[in-house]
Amino acid sequence: MSVEFRDVVKRYGTATAVAGVSFIVEAGTLVTLLGPSGCGKTTTLRMIAGLVLPSEGRILIAGRDVTNLSATQRDVSMVFQSYALFPHMSVLENVCYGLRRSGQRKAEAADRAREGLKQVGLAGFEERQPSELSGGQQQRVAVARALVLKPSVLLFDEPLSNLDARLRRQMREEIRELQQRLGLTVVYVTHDQQEAMAVSDRIIVMNAGRIEQQGGPRDLYERPATPFLARFMGESNPARGSIRRLAPDKVSVRLGEAEIEIADTATADGEATVAVRPEAITVEPAPGPAGTLPGKIAKASYLGTHMEYSINTAAGTLFATCPRVERPLAAGAAVAVSLAPRGVIIVRQ
Amino acid sequence: MRAPLAWSVAGLLAAVALPWYALQEGLDSGAWLSGLWSSEDYASGLAQSIAHGKWWLAPVLASLAACLAVALLPLERERQGTLLLLASGLGLLLFVAQALGIGLRGWTTEWLNALLGELDARQVGIGAGGALVLIALLSLLSIALALRGGFGGDAFVAGAVTTVAASIVLFTAWPILRILLQAFQDGDGAFMPALLIDRLAAEKIWSLRCLTGGGRCGVAWNTLFLALACGAGTTALGLAFALIATRTCFAYKKTLRVLTVLPIITPPFVIGLALILVFGRSGLVNQFLEWSMGVQSTRWIYGFQGVFLAQLFAFTPVAFLVLIGVVEGVSPTLEEASQTLRADRWATFSTVSLPLMRPGLANAFLVGFIESIADFGNPIVLGGDYGVLSTEIYFAVVGAQLDYGRAAALALLLLTFALGAFFLQRRIVGTRSYATISGKGDSGLPTPLPDRARRAAQWIALPWAGFTLLLYGFAFVGGLVKVWGRDYTPTLDHYAKAFAIEHTADGLIWSGAAWNSFWTTVKLAAIAAPLTAALGLLAAWLLVRQRFAGRATLEFATMLSFAVPGTVIGVAYVFAFNVPPIEITGTAMIIVLCFIFRNMPVGVRAGMAAMSQIDRSLDEASLTLRGRAPQTLVYVVLPLLRPAIVGALVYGFVRAVTTVSAVVFLVTAEYELATTYIILRVINGDYGLAIAYSCALIVLMLAVILVIQFLVGERRLGRRAPQIQGGRA
Ligand SMILES: Nc1ncnc2c1ncn2[C@@H]1O[C@H](COP(=O)(O)OP(=O)(O)O)[C@@H](O)[C@H]1O
Ligand SMILES: [Mg+2]
Repeated sequence: MSVEFRDVVKRYGTATAVAGVSFIVEAGTLVTLLGPSGCGKTTTLRMIAGLVLPSEGRILIAGRDVTNLSATQRDVSMVFQSYALFPHMSVLENVCYGLRRSGQRKAEAADRAREGLKQVGLAGFEERQPSELSGGQQQRVAVARALVLKPSVLLFDEPLSNLDARLRRQMREEIRELQQRLGLTVVYVTHDQQEAMAVSDRIIVMNAGRIEQQGGPRDLYERPATPFLARFMGESNPARGSIRRLAPDKVSVRLGEAEIEIADTATADGEATVAVRPEAITVEPAPGPAGTLPGKIAKASYLGTHMEYSINTAAGTLFATCPRVERPLAAGAAVAVSLAPRGVIIVRQ
Repeated sequence: MRAPLAWSVAGLLAAVALPWYALQEGLDSGAWLSGLWSSEDYASGLAQSIAHGKWWLAPVLASLAACLAVALLPLERERQGTLLLLASGLGLLLFVAQALGIGLRGWTTEWLNALLGELDARQVGIGAGGALVLIALLSLLSIALALRGGFGGDAFVAGAVTTVAASIVLFTAWPILRILLQAFQDGDGAFMPALLIDRLAAEKIWSLRCLTGGGRCGVAWNTLFLALACGAGTTALGLAFALIATRTCFAYKKTLRVLTVLPIITPPFVIGLALILVFGRSGLVNQFLEWSMGVQSTRWIYGFQGVFLAQLFAFTPVAFLVLIGVVEGVSPTLEEASQTLRADRWATFSTVSLPLMRPGLANAFLVGFIESIADFGNPIVLGGDYGVLSTEIYFAVVGAQLDYGRAAALALLLLTFALGAFFLQRRIVGTRSYATISGKGDSGLPTPLPDRARRAAQWIALPWAGFTLLLYGFAFVGGLVKVWGRDYTPTLDHYAKAFAIEHTADGLIWSGAAWNSFWTTVKLAAIAAPLTAALGLLAAWLLVRQRFAGRATLEFATMLSFAVPGTVIGVAYVFAFNVPPIEITGTAMIIVLCFIFRNMPVGVRAGMAAMSQIDRSLDEASLTLRGRAPQTLVYVVLPLLRPAIVGALVYGFVRAVTTVSAVVFLVTAEYELATTYIILRVINGDYGLAIAYSCALIVLMLAVILVIQFLVGERRLGRRAPQIQGGRA
């Protein structure tokens, strides 16, 4: 079912955790709330769950106004960052819990719980205690426990932050697969933009209690609307460039001595803030051809799959990643920097 | 919405089918059934307002009916909440106004008389009908608040907050307020502000003649001197014990822990009794001195020395319990850091560890101070001429003086001391706590005590511990000899006198002198303990887990009631509950209520400590899994809280059995309690029986502790989870 926020505000005393947020989560999609720590993601999620009630605004689930309903009265389940498995109950009892509370009989609840555990690949673990499971297994129990209630909305609060990197990738794929297979409506909170891009249909980026931008992963990465977004969605180098319109759908961006032509219909001539993606920067030993930016390597590190360089140029210090590792450039080397058009973004004038 | 409907109907039923006012003979006789309409005494609320001239009840019932109407209307949620809030709030206001405004002799205050003219009607204390209507109105009010989105939209939470707040207002705040009023009133209840000043300025209270040589000091100074000495002494001893228990490899730590439990299950005056056996006129020391050197026996133990010693023995364990947590909470990592910074062990101890413990030390001092000024048993047994406020209040209420006003003024003074200490401590320490027990797992090892400190601690603590054991030994033996000091023939006479059971033709007869008070005590304590635990844990759950307007106030109120001395509570109950609207003096109910509200703050504190160790997301998980608040409490929180439940139950029971100060004002011939009975025996010099009875009580309480421990059982947790956190291994 869909979730809708209309101008929702949440204040704690004088502090404002969420400052006027509106969005719609379409039924059957996975939408991520993404943002740095403290930006109000968890508060927003907990308002969907009914664990906190908003100070202002309305919340609708499946078109029904649920603003003042408590968590129990909403058809919503949540998977917690700490998993919140009840330590005094077995795995099966944990998964049965919600079913029993909604009035099912014991045998029936146990059957559905077993089915739920099978869905997350944990058949055979019913009698274990939560403390006898690994982190990934606990995570799956938490998912099964929320899932068996067939909630109209399923919420995840940084579900993977307690797992190691490898398991994180596996679990996020499992969650996405489950969501698509069962057609669930999911709101997912994370501060990790890669994780967000990997699982989401749509991403809502928050900053300081407000929505900064929302859209598909590709929109956000390729067309960030603000400097914050350019910095937050992937790495980027902020720079000042001067814009000159060449055609109705094309401008030239001048950064120091480099000049790049990119597609653009809106920006007027003059100074603008430009973000340059590190992967769009190519580094050659100096001297390069005309239109490249001369610079000097300040730092170079070898990371196995690629090189990372910090380069001092007239347009500021640029951070670049470079897939060519066989001929690394050393710190102090004079270089020519060229920029690929798809990695140069005009963020705001 | 079914809940508003149910509560309105229940309230209206109570207004129609139960006597509104309290009955002399209680409800169970059933005689009231036939007089529900016709009898002025037995009539229901409806009948009273229509047929018996109590017109002021009609608006209350009308608002209840309005609630029913609102519940039946098909309204939108928030609108219904608003209307219900208006109806039930108005009903409550009217209820309180009539209950406070109209008493045994018409209007209760002069200005109402002047304003509205004499009222030729009267009403007695509220009975079952009235009480139920009040409860229904309160419930409706909470539901209304929840409907409007208050308390997280949860009616159970709203109801729980209302219950806790209302009961604290009724049974702690209101009685204490009554003391204030009483202190200003003369014998006829007239308001005389000057009287309070007279009463408080009395020579007997403030004289300082003991310092200048001639005569005695006033009771206020006596109380203060004693409390300061007791606070300092128990803190020093408690610290010594805590250091030995945690920072040395002393072999008998377990024994030390047991020693700390004993005084908690011991009625407070037992130590005083044992001191009399050793130092009293016919005590061992005097006898030995007389026998060996011909020294006349002295009454040396009676007075400041005796009370001080007894309080030191009685309250050191409490200080120990406070301080052991503090000493353990000092992070070993900080001490290790200090040592790597060139500080030797002594420098580390004196510049890092001790300063870190300072808030804890202040806490322990406060506890010792308050225990001392609240103590009634030891001063009455050992005080002699050394009067303190608690005994002085007692004599003002039950003695020949019968001066309630003076009692109230003294109680006010006592309360001022306690609250003064409480606020001073908060000012100095604030809410700062350096105890650093975190979930992170502190990997450092506690630094052993430097030799100097260790030796000092051992030299203080170990002889003291030995002496405590010795006193208990004497107390035990004292009940097994004929007449202590004169005839040491072993005998069971005292036990027989207290606990004899005779077989006769009519069956068993409980002919022992103690049975009456014993069974009353057990019965009332057994009723009070679960209620104390339930209310305490409920309050703790609200304070730790719920956010609502007024949370801070509620927490402050429970903390504050912890600092109110028992004597003050006892006197306050006498004043507040022997006149309408709540007229329960002389009943068992007043004793049970006193037990509950006297002991609840400790349950709250323990519950809060235990609950804040349980990851909050467990509750929230349950809520999002369709577990409503009460179910969450029952299935998730309580199972994880078993140790705290045991603690609260045991404490509720034990304190109810051992308390003296609060209940000495409330007991009657019909409802006599064990401790007050023993105290009377001691005052009459009947030590044998008193000691035998005390020992029996101690054994009973040990048994109760074990049984409760067994019934509630161990917490069932996964074996890999040392901390209770959402199942993270
Ligand atoms: N219970 C609370 N009381 C006071 N402030 C809070 C509370 N919960 C969150 N906040 C504040 O609201 C802001 C947003 O918090 P949160 O939603 O948890 O952020 P995020 O999940 O994005 O890290 C933070 O500044 C936080 O300090
Ligand atoms: Mg968060």
